[in-house]
Amino acid sequence: MIAFTDIVGMDLAKQALMLLAVDPSLGGVVIPSAVGSGKSTLARAFADILPDGTPFVELPLNVTEDRLIGGVDLEATLASGQRVVQHGVLSKAHKGVLYVDSLSLLDSSAVSHIMDAMSRGLVLVEREGLSEVHPANFMLVGTYDPSDGEVRMGLLDRIGIIVPFTAQNDYRARKKIVSIVMGTRDRDDTEDELRMLRGLIEAAKVQLSHVSMTNEQIKGLIQTAISLGVEGNRVDIFAIRAAIASAALAQRTEVEDEDLKLAMKLVLVPRATRMPEREATDEEMAQDEPPPPDEEQPEAEDENAPPDEPDADADEEQEETPDMIEELMMDAMETELPDNILNISLASKKKAKSGSRGEALNNRRGRFVRAQEGEMKSGKVALIPTLISAAPWQHSRRQDKKMAGRPAGALIINKEDVKIKKFRDKSGTLFIFMVDASGSMALNRMRQAKGAVASLLQNAYVHRDQVALISFRGKQAQVLLPPSQSVDRAKRELDVLPTGGGTPLASALFTGWETAKQARTKGISQIMFVMITDGRGNIPLQAAYDPNAEKAPKEELEKEIEALALSIQADGVASIVIDTQMNYLSRGEAPKLAQKLGGRYFYLPNAKAEQIVEAALS
Amino acid sequence: MTQTVKAAKKTSSAKAKATPEAKAKAPAQPKEKAPAVTKAAPEVKKPSSKKKQALAFPFTAIVGQEEMKLSLILNIIDPRIGGVLVMGHRGTGKSTTVRALAEVLPLITRVKDDIYNRTVEQYVEAESGKKGAAAINPEDVKTELIPVPVVDLPLGATEDRVCGTIDIEKALTSGVKAFEPGLLAQSNRGFLYIDEVNLLDDHLVDVLLDVAASGKNVVEREGISIRHPARFVLVGSGNPEEGELRPQLLDRFGLHARIITINDVSKRVDIVKRRREYDEDPEAYLKKCTREQQKLQKKIVAAQELLTQVSMDDKVLTDIARLCMNLGIDGHRGELTITRTAYAFAAYKGQTTVTMEHVKEIAGLCLRHRLRKDPLETVDAGEKIDRELAKVLGEAEVTA
Repeated sequence: MIAFTDIVGMDLAKQALMLLAVDPSLGGVVIPSAVGSGKSTLARAFADILPDGTPFVELPLNVTEDRLIGGVDLEATLASGQRVVQHGVLSKAHKGVLYVDSLSLLDSSAVSHIMDAMSRGLVLVEREGLSEVHPANFMLVGTYDPSDGEVRMGLLDRIGIIVPFTAQNDYRARKKIVSIVMGTRDRDDTEDELRMLRGLIEAAKVQLSHVSMTNEQIKGLIQTAISLGVEGNRVDIFAIRAAIASAALAQRTEVEDEDLKLAMKLVLVPRATRMPEREATDEEMAQDEPPPPDEEQPEAEDENAPPDEPDADADEEQEETPDMIEELMMDAMETELPDNILNISLASKKKAKSGSRGEALNNRRGRFVRAQEGEMKSGKVALIPTLISAAPWQHSRRQDKKMAGRPAGALIINKEDVKIKKFRDKSGTLFIFMVDASGSMALNRMRQAKGAVASLLQNAYVHRDQVALISFRGKQAQVLLPPSQSVDRAKRELDVLPTGGGTPLASALFTGWETAKQARTKGISQIMFVMITDGRGNIPLQAAYDPNAEKAPKEELEKEIEALALSIQADGVASIVIDTQMNYLSRGEAPKLAQKLGGRYFYLPNAKAEQIVEAALS
Repeated sequence: MTQTVKAAKKTSSAKAKATPEAKAKAPAQPKEKAPAVTKAAPEVKKPSSKKKQALAFPFTAIVGQEEMKLSLILNIIDPRIGGVLVMGHRGTGKSTTVRALAEVLPLITRVKDDIYNRTVEQYVEAESGKKGAAAINPEDVKTELIPVPVVDLPLGATEDRVCGTIDIEKALTSGVKAFEPGLLAQSNRGFLYIDEVNLLDDHLVDVLLDVAASGKNVVEREGISIRHPARFVLVGSGNPEEGELRPQLLDRFGLHARIITINDVSKRVDIVKRRREYDEDPEAYLKKCTREQQKLQKKIVAAQELLTQVSMDDKVLTDIARLCMNLGIDGHRGELTITRTAYAFAAYKGQTTVTMEHVKEIAGLCLRHRLRKDPLETVDAGEKIDRELAKVLGEAEVTA
């Protein structure tokens, strides 16, 4: 076990965890980080700096609903003859830590339950004849790899701190450091350091109620939240708490600039949905090459000793103006902007996974939802419902002569009592719409595509389907809408969809394929590409990274598309290609594409939205 | 492992009354002779508002979000409006507001310890007619005052807990078939709240639709056959980005309030300050708000009383009908909801005549979710309603 103080690097994440230890009402810490960066080691080491005896519960990804929320403890119930309630994982984490590794892979219903528990501080158990309320006030510590997908925004909204994503390229070096440290350091040193750290946090907890914050400072944080387009009011409160906890950790009585900066960095900036006004527009940013990564880590090495800053002048604090806050904010932004916000935080964070919909009942897989009558062999027996249905008849069955000779007290269960567990498994189809937004597509086709996607989304509930939206234009394709069922979002995304530029068809296929693979890991097995294009790709894959590659010969382009299309077909993804090009202009690229994808081809020059939907659903 | 033995918590006083339904309707089981059904009563569950006496942020201290607050208040004044759906941004106080509701709700009279919160009339009507049961004299029935129940339906609830089921413990230990009422029983004459309603499981949605339409909960399972009244105001909240609501369920909600993040700095500072003050000492803060809370409660009770005297001119009704027609709304639920809501709104304002001014303020709430969805539509539903409303009003003035 590697101790908290032995972990080298990840300073911001450590700082975040310390703030949480000081003020658990921050709700939790989420650490997005690449594989092997030591994020889970750090999260587990979090227990080191908490008071002894604090519960630390790790949530397995495959947790069942009854284990999560709580339910009847069957063994104890049968042994005692009385109903014995077993608390769920959420309630076991009460007054402690609930740790989830790979938070983004957690089942959507489990996420909903965690959200619900976090907003109440309680778990309501209303299942299998039980009606109970269990306390569940916990800190959620979650780690995940953003390449596995994003965490649901609703959940992030209840977690105070999101550690900005940093590309941890040097993780091997870091591991080495850890092992060197481990080899040479004295165990006692580690113990001493941990004790110091715990003392520091205890002192900060006491200090918490003595920290004051000026009105201007509160206003500044809120203004920042508004200019970053942060949704809701909950986050404002988290930001204020984080700033106060930071001041308390430094044993100060007043909140200072560095506390505000830290609060912005850990609470507000990661939730930005837009850049502050003076920044470039989204479109411009998307086209700009990301600047070289900035490896500078601010505010490092402060876990052993509090930053020993001289107290700020009280007068100075009084004169603090929003302008100054704005400066601070830009400062906080700039340190994080280069490799963090552009790639991870903006827009892509807005992903929402669809709810419990794309799911159907079955006998074997998924989440147990209810019990139904059925053959014992056809599935897993649901014991309690079986007992429930057998119970009322025990008396009369015992009277039955046929049953004579049975040991007294034995339960008599007949075939018709048997209840089988019904499971809910994600199923349904994911339609990935790939809309050609290049210059060669006329505007009215965009309207048709928009209409088709919106209609399909409205049908999605009935058909239990999900839709993703990818547009391609310019240098590369872009996921506008990850798999979702939200009409609102799809509409919004489509409304602002720009057109013009080249046709990066290969990139579209590649992006679609990636989206399909991700969906598969989440249990969606049927995937269909709906491509709305003229099929005239003229930008190679490489162009996204290498401007010189843009002028690739036509044969190479075709080869690239063919290879991708064949792989996609081999992967079992169904496709349809909807050609919207005028007859006299067509050179048959779209039919060719459909053929390579092994999919169907539709020629709908003046296609109506309904027709496209019909084609997709038939 | 933390375990609590539930049986230990049960009070024997709970066995006060027999469940007449369970007694009266012996289920017809074809295969086996029905076991003897005794008079044993199911455990009486207190309304959940009592069960979880967790403190809630005071309703009157919630800043902004007038649309949501008004919708809830109008539903208290007239529960027939049909509930509210609150959809909007995360972290804007949707569930805080609904949970705060309990404190401003008036009291209702129910038959003492009745698990279905029935009135004396309902109770007598349901129980007197039973086979073998003696006629009940209404004057003999004991009553009590309880706050309007607010029942929280968590997403993980199973069907048996929602509808009610056999009490397994009794069944196993004593072979007695007793009905254990579910959340629907508890919510009769009260509010049923579902947070993240758009994520609710399909089979529960089916149950809710069925019960909401009939006002009755019918349980036919595990050898139990029971029907009891279940009229509740359905309140749902959610974030549209997490998923769409099923159209049939959407249609069930009388009103649809929309919530967006407040972008006014001073208001937001105010929100944060109030919240911090509350978090520091909830009880002291609640005390501070008591007067405001009581004032609102009184206003609601006064409106409830005034409601019977409110009237509406036929001309206003015509305008409402024309508005719904122009907007192309299917069915008549639109007109009905507007009319009822306008009545309640007038009563809330202390007025006895409904005018188009009242209608104007609540039309958006009533119709927003009933407009036919046009995939290519870029105009906000609210704007569309306002536009048509202006037309209707304009026309009305010309013809007048």
